[in-house]
Amino acid sequence: MRAIRIPALPQRLRRAVEDLRRKEDRLSLLLSLVIGALVGLVVVAFILLTGRLTTIMYASVGSGWQRILVPTLGSLITGYLLYKYFPLARGSGIQQTRAALFIHDGRISLRSVVGKFVTTTISLASGIPLGREGPAVYMGSGLASVIAHRLGLSRLQIRSLVPVGGAAAFAAAFNTPIAAVLFSLQAIVGDLHAPILGSAVLASATSWVVLHLVLGDNPLFHVPAFHLVSLAELGVYVVLGIVGGLSSVAYVKLLLWLRAAFTKLPRASLWIQPVAGGLTVGIFGYFVPQVLGVGYDQVERVLNGDVVLKAVIILAALKIITSSVAYASGNAGGVLGPSLVIGSMVGAAVGSVAHMLFPASTAGPGAYALVGMGAAFAGTIRMPLTSVIMVFEITRDYRVIAPLLISNLIAFYISQKLQKEPIYDALAHQDGLHLPTRPSGALPGIRRVSTAIREAPGSLSPETTVGEVAERVTDSKFESWPVADELGLVGMVRTRHIAAAVKQGREDMTIARLMQIARRSDGERSVDMPHVHNDQPLSRALARMRDNGHKVLPVVSRANARIMLGVVTLADILEEYGVERADQLDYRDHPDI
Amino acid sequence: MKTPIAQPTPPPAASVSEFIATFAVILVAIAGLLLFDTALATADTSARKALATREFVLGERLIAQGKIEEGVERFRAASTLDGENSAYGVALAQATLADGRPRAAEQMLLPLLERDPANGTANLAMGRVLSREGRNDEAKSYYHSAIYGLWPPGAEARRTEARFELIDLLARTNSKQELLAELLPIQDDSTNDAAQRKRIAHLFVVAGAPMRAVAIYREVLRRDSRDADAYVGLADAALSLGDFATARTDLLAAQKLTPADSTTLKARLILTDSVVELDPTQVGLSLPEQVRRSRNLLQLTHASVRKCLGTQAPQVAAALDSAANMQLVSAARVGQAQSIEQNISLAEQLWGLRRSRCAPDRKDGALALIHNRIAQ
Repeated sequence: MRAIRIPALPQRLRRAVEDLRRKEDRLSLLLSLVIGALVGLVVVAFILLTGRLTTIMYASVGSGWQRILVPTLGSLITGYLLYKYFPLARGSGIQQTRAALFIHDGRISLRSVVGKFVTTTISLASGIPLGREGPAVYMGSGLASVIAHRLGLSRLQIRSLVPVGGAAAFAAAFNTPIAAVLFSLQAIVGDLHAPILGSAVLASATSWVVLHLVLGDNPLFHVPAFHLVSLAELGVYVVLGIVGGLSSVAYVKLLLWLRAAFTKLPRASLWIQPVAGGLTVGIFGYFVPQVLGVGYDQVERVLNGDVVLKAVIILAALKIITSSVAYASGNAGGVLGPSLVIGSMVGAAVGSVAHMLFPASTAGPGAYALVGMGAAFAGTIRMPLTSVIMVFEITRDYRVIAPLLISNLIAFYISQKLQKEPIYDALAHQDGLHLPTRPSGALPGIRRVSTAIREAPGSLSPETTVGEVAERVTDSKFESWPVADELGLVGMVRTRHIAAAVKQGREDMTIARLMQIARRSDGERSVDMPHVHNDQPLSRALARMRDNGHKVLPVVSRANARIMLGVVTLADILEEYGVERADQLDYRDHPDI
Repeated sequence: MKTPIAQPTPPPAASVSEFIATFAVILVAIAGLLLFDTALATADTSARKALATREFVLGERLIAQGKIEEGVERFRAASTLDGENSAYGVALAQATLADGRPRAAEQMLLPLLERDPANGTANLAMGRVLSREGRNDEAKSYYHSAIYGLWPPGAEARRTEARFELIDLLARTNSKQELLAELLPIQDDSTNDAAQRKRIAHLFVVAGAPMRAVAIYREVLRRDSRDADAYVGLADAALSLGDFATARTDLLAAQKLTPADSTTLKARLILTDSVVELDPTQVGLSLPEQVRRSRNLLQLTHASVRKCLGTQAPQVAAALDSAANMQLVSAARVGQAQSIEQNISLAEQLWGLRRSRCAPDRKDGALALIHNRIAQ
């Protein structure tokens, strides 16, 4: 979309603007303020509208049927809107933001932002137990992207403003400005040392000020002062870390498993799939109304010690189930909010039992609910430091730090052991996205794959026989060849394997079969499809070559790993590093390259 | 040669005028959103407040009907909808307390008190919660904070309510000095009606200051000489002072005024009569009568102690038996005046032992009154 044109401007203003545009640091600061304010206001509107709509939809809580009907209808409406008008607004928003940042140069359309706003508002207001934070981050990042594009900023500037918008949104959604900056740097950029730190802090603080300006000084949760009754209590926090970690793993695994199952359903059913989530929530909500909505009111209850052991255990279990089904079925909303709710319930349960057994040496269950929230966050989102800061910002109490660190690190460790892939990465992989865990672009002076990429030498079809390609392949000194079908890249085959098959008189064997056998003989070194991405460091390509034994690796798109952008060879990498090896690897003379 | 891969084209740079126009649009959007959000927040706040009030009123109605659990839920909804209104939070805590969950009620009140430590209503509720939990010292502190805390306009009566609840707690825990300290400031409060003044007077008796009670009862009777309760109160004060004859006269006066309500009065009269008959220190008694009464007092006191210690410490009880018997035998050998002194002295010691080891017994009311007088 083109920017708006206006008539001739006074010369002085024109010069000032030109000057501002030249000085990127000043412009960046100004834009951080503007984005912080705008995103803060949008998120406040989002929070208020969601709350207002919820009040309207559940004006009279008396009817049980209403509790079934409203989430079902809500999910039906959002399902249709997502399918028909806003396909990019589906899901939590975090992995979509990362995809936009790393695949589309930070480009997020205004349509997606609007779609996210509308669908998430309807979804959350109808009682779907998902969070508002992920979608808010997407909206914030999206708005930053739209502004940057319309101002005609460079690709690098656009990319740097996306996480700034995300930080501003998180600050407004969660009322925790410091945690917002950390979350944005870790979850979106993947690097705590990213140079956008200053801008993110500024935007986050601005957004937080806007939130307070409009909604007043109301914390997300009213929490009583935290007390560590005795040092022995730290032992209970160890137990809480274990239980919190296990609960997080249960939540993440169930969610991913259900989502994998939903992705196998026909694409035509995409619009109706969210109804499965809405109906599940409604049915559980019929019997247990507390299941409806993300559940922050329940969190407030348990944080203030209003805990009935049986009730919190049931609610924790039901929240794991309903949030997982709701998300996996494609409803709009995030996974972070439910993780906090589950954590608080688990914490309250552990705290209740501990207080029952050792009333004199343990605090009330509210304190454990608070730490449980942090533990579940650390276990689910895998950001223990952000979790500590977030809970600290909620309580504004230093005394919570030690128990929180203990529980968080234990939950983080358990989660890492039992669920290898962090939730946002796993969700992205389910969507076919290969997003970086640590962007090379953020590190100055790093040589990236994009500097050594070259066009692919052509590819072999998996259905062709060894005999058909033997001459073409063995005559070259190119030691690995890409294999691709009509949908794209399927893997790499080694020239020496083809030569060996010919030597054994197996010319009729297909390339696909040869790859299978080779994979088996390679054993653990084998990876289904060794590849690298354009933005990864060359050192990563070297490591991958070492791991797989290939001297040539395909460079694939992050959006779709089957789209080959080119190849990177060992010789080219060495050349990039200034090591002359070309004479030894004379495949460069090969006509295909 | 290496074939370079085409990189995506960068977005076109906007002209200066486009840049300014876009910026202007963003600023207008910010201003518009600020207005929109403020209007939305205002509407939302008033809607939530109205809804909260409705929930609160409904909750109060349900509590009044004895539907505590449902009331708790309504108060909770009110408190969630309007967290700034501490009255909802306090009502929720009080209903939770009524629901038999003092721990949960305490946890609900803590954040309210952290936010507003001088909140009279919240302090009073916390005092009640802690008093229910038997944490009397902490409860006293919160009651004090309630008494000297901030109350909404027109809620001064609640401050007095807090003071009376503290006074009741002090009376229950037999903290006489503290009780007296709380009663003195309200002794001459002109805003108190007759019923409250009689209550204060009664509490003065409990606090061990019956003379102050007598003054209040007399003043009440000056205003209404037909107030039977005031006569009963005077009788109690007189009993506490050891003036049993006056107590009897006051009780008879009360009986004349309310002949129908004679059950409690009769019981009091019987008690007073037995005290009058038992008291060996009464003025105007002959020496033999004093001896007889002192022996009687010793025997009754011994029986009371025996009854209490018989099961607790049988050996001590047996030792007491022999001590009491020896005293009764030796009293016969000494002079009458000396034996009266010895009997009363031993009875006093036994009573002291009883008080330190055994719970008070209603049946020993007369003995308690006489020993109280002797102690004076």
